[in-house]
Amino acid sequence: MSASQEQALEPQRAAELLGRIEENVHRVIVGKKRVVRLAITGLIAGGHVLLQDLPGTGKTMLARALATSVGGTFRRIQCTPDLLPSDITGSSIFNQKELSFEFIPGPIFANVVLADEVNRATPRSQSALLEAMGESQVTVEGTTRTLERPFFVIATQNPTEFHGTYPLPESQLDRFILSAEMGAPTDAEAMEVLARREHGDPIGELAGVVDLGEVRELQDACLRVVAAPAIRTYIVSLLQGIRARPDVLLPASMRSGVYLQRAAQAWALFEGRDFVLPDDVKLLAVPVLAHRLSMRGRARADEMIQQLVASLPLPPLRQH
Amino acid sequence: MRLRLPASPVENSLEGRAFVFSGFCVAVLAIVLYGQDYVVPAAGVAATAVGHVVSYRGRSRKRSVLGQALLATLVFAGLAYFVADSVLALFGGVLPQANFAIALVAVTSFDLKTRRNCYSSLWISLAILYLAAVYAWDYPFGILVGLWAVCLAGFWMASHLRRMQARLSAPPAALAAVVLGALGVGLAGFVLIPQPASFAPTPLVVSLPNFVSFKGELENPALPLVQISGDPSGATSSVDLHFRGRLGDTPVMYVRTGAPAYWRGLVFDTYQGGIWTASTRGFREMQSFIPPRLFPPAPPNNLGTFVQVFRVLRPLPGVINAAYPIESLYAPVTSLREDSYGTFFTPDLLRPGQTYSVVSYLPNLTAKELQNEPVANAAQFINPIYLDAGELSQQARGLALTAVGGHTTTEFDEVMALTNYMQANFRYSQQLGHVPAGRDPVDWFLFDVKIGYCEQFATAETLMLRSLGIPARLATGYSTGTYDPVLDQSVVRERDAHAWVEVWFPSHGWVPVDPSPGFSALAATQFPSHWAAGGIARLIPHLELGAPLGAIGSLGVVAAIPLAVAIVVLVVFAWAWMRTRRWKRGAKAPPGESELLRLYERVQRKLRRRRAPPETPLEYLSGASPGPVLGVLDEVTQAVNEGAYAGRWADPDAVRELSKRL
Repeated sequence: MSASQEQALEPQRAAELLGRIEENVHRVIVGKKRVVRLAITGLIAGGHVLLQDLPGTGKTMLARALATSVGGTFRRIQCTPDLLPSDITGSSIFNQKELSFEFIPGPIFANVVLADEVNRATPRSQSALLEAMGESQVTVEGTTRTLERPFFVIATQNPTEFHGTYPLPESQLDRFILSAEMGAPTDAEAMEVLARREHGDPIGELAGVVDLGEVRELQDACLRVVAAPAIRTYIVSLLQGIRARPDVLLPASMRSGVYLQRAAQAWALFEGRDFVLPDDVKLLAVPVLAHRLSMRGRARADEMIQQLVASLPLPPLRQH
Repeated sequence: MRLRLPASPVENSLEGRAFVFSGFCVAVLAIVLYGQDYVVPAAGVAATAVGHVVSYRGRSRKRSVLGQALLATLVFAGLAYFVADSVLALFGGVLPQANFAIALVAVTSFDLKTRRNCYSSLWISLAILYLAAVYAWDYPFGILVGLWAVCLAGFWMASHLRRMQARLSAPPAALAAVVLGALGVGLAGFVLIPQPASFAPTPLVVSLPNFVSFKGELENPALPLVQISGDPSGATSSVDLHFRGRLGDTPVMYVRTGAPAYWRGLVFDTYQGGIWTASTRGFREMQSFIPPRLFPPAPPNNLGTFVQVFRVLRPLPGVINAAYPIESLYAPVTSLREDSYGTFFTPDLLRPGQTYSVVSYLPNLTAKELQNEPVANAAQFINPIYLDAGELSQQARGLALTAVGGHTTTEFDEVMALTNYMQANFRYSQQLGHVPAGRDPVDWFLFDVKIGYCEQFATAETLMLRSLGIPARLATGYSTGTYDPVLDQSVVRERDAHAWVEVWFPSHGWVPVDPSPGFSALAATQFPSHWAAGGIARLIPHLELGAPLGAIGSLGVVAAIPLAVAIVVLVVFAWAWMRTRRWKRGAKAPPGESELLRLYERVQRKLRRRRAPPETPLEYLSGASPGPVLGVLDEVTQAVNEGAYAGRWADPDAVRELSKRL
């Protein structure tokens, strides 16, 4: 079911749906409110999310919980150096009964795809994945197949391993709408995790709370959120500010500005707003922008953006 | 703790940088004008232009270590040059400090990234202007300071507007209206402000540098006034027309005077082979104070007396320059000598700081007064030496006759006819080559080049008058100088050294006449009221309603400066105004917007903390201290967010309701 014009999703209802998803994910993921919300933001904004952290911090769990919550299909690609593009997209196999080639879809044909340790795949496989992410379609043996909406990729990356990895180049990093770090749990959270696992894995009991149609409605509602001219001005001056910083080697692209606006629109839905506040932009500046900047020397992109956001003047409230 | 300056934003405004560069050019212009220094300023301007381009292009790039080291090295090299130049006078620069500052600007212009850098560059330009002020403090200098201030204001506005993201899109019609309006205002002022009659605009003289060895001193024996010669008093006894040195801008004396006049020094009566000498060499010893009774009787119908106090600024020949005729004289020296032409000499050189005072008559030498003398009278009384036109060629005598043709009823008519002829048909210039060997200087001037300086005009006129039977002689000294309203005195410079003609009128004595173009033909002392009006009005050229055509002819570059400044100021301000207008324009403000934002401001005032520019309304709300105002602030913040970021401004009535609760 797709939302028609008359039955457009109200912001209040959208907030309620999003709250349900959030709550459901939190039945598995303890704490990490921000990361969970960022991941859902990525989904609603129609983008893809890159999670960077150490192994065992719950990246996969988050992806699975999210997939289950939205009631879609979930597939996982475990990236290794010998992974081939056809392992991702699928290939044709000769059916001896019917004497014809039959297409066996790969793991990419799912609503939520987890690309685990994406930096361990070869650049060739990475680009097959990224084409699917960018175009929402897959071309195998001359036939183009469209992927079902919603199509959402969560890629994870272990930032500490270097041996045998192929770090994603900037152009490919640019395709992820946002990047987040799970972060270490607090002691209380860690104890809660242990308590929940005492008698089994809670993920097995998880059920969907929204259906795919509602996710598509949420995605449409996100597009209807208003980003005022002042917000656009603010985003542009933010990009300008980054460009003017002497410690930035590769400045933020135009696409990153588009993503920042889109992510802020999705973020606004969580609070039932149908318009973007500069607060949303400020909050999302680091997750959306930091991973795609390349810095000189030891400068850190996230610190630089924090500083910039703290000092960049808002556009004037008075617009007339 | 690490001390950090607040970061200065990168200067992205191209116009702003143009203003910074213009400010520097203004300062350098002052150095060129007053320091008479050309090489370093020109090189500095060229290098700075390149530097500005380089730093604009690389404004977002990080400074490289090598580049910074190079800049620092260049700054220290400039410092070394400065020390060497001031101590050793390597190049004999007039203003080594200024040259250093120019070099500093040129070097640092390669590193103008932030707004703060640009401001620093402007401040150095101000320092350069200050150095130029050591040499000059006159109206044109004031204009330069004003131009610099315009550059500062322009930079401030340009960078400010750029930061506000304002766009220039002035409607051409409005822009044209502003420019035309400024022109109209300037023209009206130009026409309507009354003109003091004493001011005759001088033609623009563009001096090219003399690279040979000119150091602001005279280099030839032809000008006796500033040059100190062999005589104990330093006074010369001859003027040689074959050579002429360049005159500098150095002030030689200050004159505090009640009326503008020519300061006459030596007088010459004999012209032989291109050299003027004095035929009588006798002296009369006098006291240091000479009372009125020792002077010739007061001129008839005189308008009273006025006082002049001369203060010497550099060593000068011991000649008392003064307005003639003198009533009384006091010079603080052991004794004075008077020669047979009425000129006084001190026993020694005049030293810097020395002063002397003279009381002079204001002779009533108007055209009307002088008209009364018939031409026949002139030659009767006088020493025949004043009628000796001996060396004048037949060709020149013929020219004199042609020039005065038809104006021979009175002596005055004849003199004025010749003077006006000289002023109209010959050009004045201080840039003149040497007279070719074997050529008579007067003929060379009259028939070959037709360009001359004051001595050649005066010599030619003297001899031609003599050939017509009118007694005349050559007077030298200084013209009035530049009136400085700050010091309330006239600044007389080297270049004011002048030569003119004195013509004998039996009942009025020696009357000064000036044949040089650009000077008033009848060079008698002016009535003081003209001088009093000669302040700022002197700089503004006017149309005299009686003679508009003549005034149009006298429009020099100086005349255009005040007008240009007025236009520049108006245009800059109008441009800035339009940019802000453009920025604010757009759709009409929806109802409730102004009311709500005013209320928001009020709440902030009440909380005694303003929202910082990077702070969002929600952040401000969470940072507000709890209190009765907080409830209102909460609602106002909601409303402001809705208005500013969703375009749904609250109803004015609802805003009034909120403000009542406050």
